[in-house]
Amino acid sequence: MAEISSKQADHWLALASPRPEGSWGCRIESVGVKLPAQMLTTRDLMNRTSHRTRIQLERLTGIHERHVVGPGENSFTLATGAARDCLAHSQHQAPDIEMLISTSITRSRGRSSQSFEPPLSLYIKQAIGATQAVNFDLSNACAGMLTGVFVLQDLITRGEISCGMVVSGEYISQLSWNAAHQIRSLFSKQLASLTLGDAGAAVIVERTPDGTPGIDVIGFTTLAEHSRLCLAFPSTVGPGAQMYTKARKLHRVAIEDMAPLVAEAIGEAGIDLADIDYLIPHQTSARAIRKGTEEFARRLGAKPKHVVLNLEEYGNTSSTTLFVALHKYLEEQRMHKGDRVMLLALASGIQIGIAIFTIDSQAERYGHTH
Amino acid sequence: MGTRIEAASALTSHGWRRPTARHLADAAARTCLAYAGKEAGDVDILINAGIYREDNMGEPALAALIQEDIGANLGQPPVGGQGTFSFDLANGTCGVINAIQIEAGLLRSGVIRVGAIVTSDVDPNLKDPGAAPFRPTGGAMLLGWDDSVSGFTDFCTETFTEYEDLFVSGLVWQGRRGPRVPRRPNGQSQMIIDQRLGYQARLADCAEDATRRFLGRLGMGIGEIDLLVPASSSPDFLDPLRARLGIPGDRVAYTAEDFAGAYTTGLIAALQAAIKSGRLGDARNTLMLAAGAGITVTLALYRQTPP
Repeated sequence: MAEISSKQADHWLALASPRPEGSWGCRIESVGVKLPAQMLTTRDLMNRTSHRTRIQLERLTGIHERHVVGPGENSFTLATGAARDCLAHSQHQAPDIEMLISTSITRSRGRSSQSFEPPLSLYIKQAIGATQAVNFDLSNACAGMLTGVFVLQDLITRGEISCGMVVSGEYISQLSWNAAHQIRSLFSKQLASLTLGDAGAAVIVERTPDGTPGIDVIGFTTLAEHSRLCLAFPSTVGPGAQMYTKARKLHRVAIEDMAPLVAEAIGEAGIDLADIDYLIPHQTSARAIRKGTEEFARRLGAKPKHVVLNLEEYGNTSSTTLFVALHKYLEEQRMHKGDRVMLLALASGIQIGIAIFTIDSQAERYGHTH
Repeated sequence: MGTRIEAASALTSHGWRRPTARHLADAAARTCLAYAGKEAGDVDILINAGIYREDNMGEPALAALIQEDIGANLGQPPVGGQGTFSFDLANGTCGVINAIQIEAGLLRSGVIRVGAIVTSDVDPNLKDPGAAPFRPTGGAMLLGWDDSVSGFTDFCTETFTEYEDLFVSGLVWQGRRGPRVPRRPNGQSQMIIDQRLGYQARLADCAEDATRRFLGRLGMGIGEIDLLVPASSSPDFLDPLRARLGIPGDRVAYTAEDFAGAYTTGLIAALQAAIKSGRLGDARNTLMLAAGAGITVTLALYRQTPP
């Protein structure tokens, strides 16, 4: 088996692109989601701030409501629920999973607001019966799940494993409550914490049969010069963390630097931005996403056919946003076999990750619950 | 053709007034780059496998801060330039071998040319500071591609979940008692580390089982292992393991006393000792072994033989 062609010397991104004549193909086989039943509207959240803020959060961000955990739910239960949903949509059984990577930023389980050891992935693999899986946790802020896919993609295309799962459960609404106690104005560095919602997501990545479409390109880079634009630490207000974000600068840097990186990725895939049927960006605020998309179109001379926005009902579900959005579109049968999708991760670090893949037969296993 | 260890560096916090996880990893990374004769900008991927930090920062990945500190490709991304990708990996003391496996794969694929792994652990705001099972240390290693050696050829990870409760750690919210006072903290999250009796002995049992299965699968005998590089030199773990496997003491890379209690840095400290003594260079087959919470055992075989 030939090795994957090296493009590192020509690219800013750490970029992998399986070649038909070389390594194994690789695809996203199924996606699962676990959403808590309880909802919290932006109006209710803003009514519970300790100070009169006068912030029109819904108008600013496009977020109307978000799911939040109820009693007995935490990062572990959300991750496990998502992993089970993913298996329910998959042709694989839990014992088929050879590697399981948990990428939750929040790792609450039992009385622990942040579990360290053993890794959360160990408990998840036990809970779903993936007893043969090699497991570890990976932490890369909101880009964690796509980073996990990047890792699995390499192992699969080289033939080291044939099937792996990336899973994340985010009980991150604690940050909203902690921020609500302290936030005073629109200029607070904790403003972004008010956009967060809870969710679990899981994805199975597998080796593809010959000639089957899958992941065309996946790449990542860290713009570490801006590593301090978003920081989260354990809170002294309540359980969980507090997050401080220089949101305007972060978005300015992201818009500025993402365009050449997207150009690298689509160039490697041998396509144009207009060939992308669905662009799924990290869900932060509707306004920022629209502005970013317009800037891409201006710089790259083309724009994707659709830009996916699901903020209105989910908010920013941190590391799970891309796959919650992908799952929603598959369930609603908006995506079809042959559609080309670009996932665009943006996270503190600053981490930028891009994956381009083609929807295949997995689309047929969604939508029956509607 | 294989993944080659370019350099390894480990350090303790001796002489540091207030050691931080970030600064220990920074210092180790800079020394390691100097040993390898490379620039920070040569690093294509940087994985931090350290666990315990003074501030228990949730995001960004500590690796991104370390990348910034050492100055690895901080410029704007022009087309045709080179960037660095950084993230954290957590699997206790076993995380370093998981990180080696990931980077060895990316080197084999040609996605990267140089990979760095860093580690560090310091007091993470422990509820009971005496309960810390480790000493503040930092480490770094560099991996590259070499056409003349086999390098890292085989990896193995086994978990023994019946012992998952023997070592548990996590942040637990401790609310302040009494009425709520404006501008005063309501409490804090403190790290609880619960290590039960018999943990080290079970680590040795599990490591022995996993090692025998791993070598059996490769068709190798213990006698073919020229050097054992363990992640822990704790006598409670290493002495019974070595005795049961029948590995003579002169085929084990022990760390200096300074590194007793090194946690995620343990494997890199042992590797540094083996490199400095010349024993790594002399060994044809080196077995790297880590065992930690879960119980998880990770193993890697490093061959300095022609491919």
